[in-house]
Amino acid sequence: MDDFFFSLVLAGISVGSVYALVALGLNLTFWTTKTLNFGQGSLMMLCAMLTVFLSSQGVAMALAVLGSLLVIAALGMFIERWTVRPALRSGGSTMGWVVSTLGFGIFLQGMAAKYFGSQAVAFPEVIFTAQDYVTLFGQYVSLQYLVVLAVAVVLILLLELFVRKTVWGQAVHAVSLDPELALVQGMPVRRIILGSFMLSSVLAGVAGVLIAQIGGTVDPAFGFDLVLLGFVAAVLGGMGSSLGALAGGLVVGLISKLVGGYVSTAAEHGIAFALLMLMLAVRPQGLFGRPEVSKA
Amino acid sequence: MTASVREETGATVEQPSLGPAALRRGLSRLVAHPLFQLALLALLLLGAGQLSSGTVQIASFVLIAAIFAQSINLLTGLAGQISLGHAGFFGIGAYCSGILVKSWGFDVAAAVPVAVLLAAATGWLLSFPANRVRDVYLAMMTLGFGMVFFEIVREWNDVTGGTMGLPGVPAAALRTLTILGFRMDGLDYFRLVLLVTALVLLLMRNLTQSRIGRAFFAIHVSEVAAGSIGIPSGSTKQLAYAVSGALAGLAGALYAHLVGYLGPESFALPRSIEVLVIAIVGGLGSIAGQVLSATLFTFLPERLQVFAEWQFIAYGLILTFSLLVLPKGIGGLLFEPPRFIKPRVLRRAAGLTADPAALRPQGEAAESLVVEGVTMRFGGLVAVDGVSLRLEPGRITALVGPNGSGKSTLVNVVSGIYRPTAGKVRFGERDITGLSDHQVAAARVVRTFQDPRLVPHFTVRENLLLGAHRLLRHSGAAATLGLPGAIAEEAEHLAMAEAVLALAGLTEVADRPIDTLPYGTRRMAEVGRALLARPRVILLDEPAAGLSEKEMERLAQLIRDMKAMGLAILLIDHHMDFLAELVDEVVVLDSGRMIYHGDIAGMRRDPQVIAAYLGDEATHA
Repeated sequence: MDDFFFSLVLAGISVGSVYALVALGLNLTFWTTKTLNFGQGSLMMLCAMLTVFLSSQGVAMALAVLGSLLVIAALGMFIERWTVRPALRSGGSTMGWVVSTLGFGIFLQGMAAKYFGSQAVAFPEVIFTAQDYVTLFGQYVSLQYLVVLAVAVVLILLLELFVRKTVWGQAVHAVSLDPELALVQGMPVRRIILGSFMLSSVLAGVAGVLIAQIGGTVDPAFGFDLVLLGFVAAVLGGMGSSLGALAGGLVVGLISKLVGGYVSTAAEHGIAFALLMLMLAVRPQGLFGRPEVSKA
Repeated sequence: MTASVREETGATVEQPSLGPAALRRGLSRLVAHPLFQLALLALLLLGAGQLSSGTVQIASFVLIAAIFAQSINLLTGLAGQISLGHAGFFGIGAYCSGILVKSWGFDVAAAVPVAVLLAAATGWLLSFPANRVRDVYLAMMTLGFGMVFFEIVREWNDVTGGTMGLPGVPAAALRTLTILGFRMDGLDYFRLVLLVTALVLLLMRNLTQSRIGRAFFAIHVSEVAAGSIGIPSGSTKQLAYAVSGALAGLAGALYAHLVGYLGPESFALPRSIEVLVIAIVGGLGSIAGQVLSATLFTFLPERLQVFAEWQFIAYGLILTFSLLVLPKGIGGLLFEPPRFIKPRVLRRAAGLTADPAALRPQGEAAESLVVEGVTMRFGGLVAVDGVSLRLEPGRITALVGPNGSGKSTLVNVVSGIYRPTAGKVRFGERDITGLSDHQVAAARVVRTFQDPRLVPHFTVRENLLLGAHRLLRHSGAAATLGLPGAIAEEAEHLAMAEAVLALAGLTEVADRPIDTLPYGTRRMAEVGRALLARPRVILLDEPAAGLSEKEMERLAQLIRDMKAMGLAILLIDHHMDFLAELVDEVVVLDSGRMIYHGDIAGMRRDPQVIAAYLGDEATHA
């Protein structure tokens, strides 16, 4: 096999698994409230930026990541409480929460640009450097890619186990099917929703750190494209489907890297957004989703 | 007469805050007054000469932002379709006009219309995929559209100049602009853009107060309800996208010839965000609010260094909280809610009288609606199972049955919301099975809903006039230009709406927004609206639910009037006493099957009906 092709496929799978992680995060809040955080990209960016900042202050890398994730989780709470909940309560159209979550994302991006500067900063190499590699089937394989892939896949599996096997996971499903029924059954619906936003934010944060690790730099604008790629992955697989998110993420990762490698790196993202529009037009329920049946 | 009713009813709702309400009323009247508008226009045209060239340029930016904001106002505020990628349309207008003039040697006067058409065509094309999705998916799709446009502009070096941009577009700021042979400096260009803006605002106002604007609001609130009175959601949305695209394209083209340099960064996400901020803060639906907001958000960053520095952060905060803090924006704060019928039409209709007898189907063969063996299956559930019935002109048929027996599903099949799994629906000779809802309404089979689905901020009168949408023949262009033919036709139908208002006992509340009125009144308004769509068959889904005794009498009378007009009527209800005095025959459904068909006295004795309502034990007792 051609080296170049192989490296593109590996890169595609690796970033694709991160997109899947973002898509899963979006799914989580979609399950509980049928909403998405349109500012999710800023959380990805902020988590990576904070990690850089903390480690530059001499905090150990592991602590820096953990601390950043805590901040992101708190922001997730804030987003649910102050942007999504009021918009849903006012009973307005979708418009409300799309605009308010997007607005909060822009706010965070603006703050990051103000305090960390709008220039790209180098992301520290956590475990391996970009030069570390192993040989696999006679090919050089970057260890960074492998680590990112492993972390993403492990997280996806853990999340899947959590949702399927634990009481809390079952409760999430109950809330997604019928929040009112779940409420009268005595489930702490508010806390489940809040939890879904926190977890969703943490997943975004992890994805941000992983992508920053591969790319090597972060800048305040870096999240917006990424969260769109997460959308693409989620829509491709069908909103709400975990398996779909994984498959969608990998497809988006592979296609964008292959197009990037053989056509133009600049077209990498453009092709993914075109895919999003095409998919929404042709099969909005995604590859694995079922069409929504609504009663008039 | 209209005005006096308005005063009385207005006072009862707005009593507590008379101060601000009076101020709002005064401001609204001032802004709507043609003399004020002309004076403002003249002041700006002449006064601009006194300003520095820098200020004039900023003022031109304000006007362009105002036009751009109107495009969001139209698409999101009126038609209810969110867009997070409007910079795409703006950019299409800018690049198209810029390239045509710079590289192809077009005159600006020719290039700008081409650019507007291209942006409109793009909007029209985008409406097809956009029509297949809604809510969050629509937000994503429009975001994707903006990003795709940005990527294309950035990469298409040969045409757009790529990341280097397109410098040297003939522009006022560069003193290189000539239009039709006239050299234009910044001041001339400002005056030109001012006239264009004034025209856009005028047309926008006309559009809002026309059949097109009302149809936009109807699909905004409920596509199903709009379809039931013959407003097709698909083509209405296509029109909204195309017009919105045209407006954004116009703003973009004017921008190109103001600044003279086009770079991809000017048309990226922040531009889409900015226009959204302007439109939301201005107040969606308020034209004057948009203009004020455009002024605010264009002057602030230019004049206040502090604001420029915090601009992005401020936009973020505004988007996050504005819908909470100021849901109706500046427009809602300063002005009265807009109205949706042209004052000229109101005045003209006041001089007309219409005879409700004209609602009687005339010169047409008396045809029946026939339902033949209709079955509707949802997965494994059979909601309607081989039902056949016949609705004849001048007869009232009751459809009764326990909850979940398939009554509403049957109405949904007949009215075109569901396509039946098996069976046929015919009206006269015509097979109307599987037609879409607005086509069924056009075939003159009209329905109402269990929960009244009206446009909440429309007055009763405006809601009723919406019923006549299907019959208004004048074009959207005629409506927008306010041509005499359009005014005359609309006034004619408005006069009929007044007659129906009287028939339904709604004249006193005709000027009240429907969401300030009790449930019973809303139901009557919905029935009146259906009647104005000139049906020959009317399907009333539980019209009496939640009505007081007195309101029920009024409704019964209206139904009798409709019977006398020769309409075929299907009436779903649970009140047997209400039905007993009205109906000619009864059809009883149970678990989707028809278990009785005949007169109401026979129904009360029928053992199967008794069993369905009271359970099996009752029959043995």
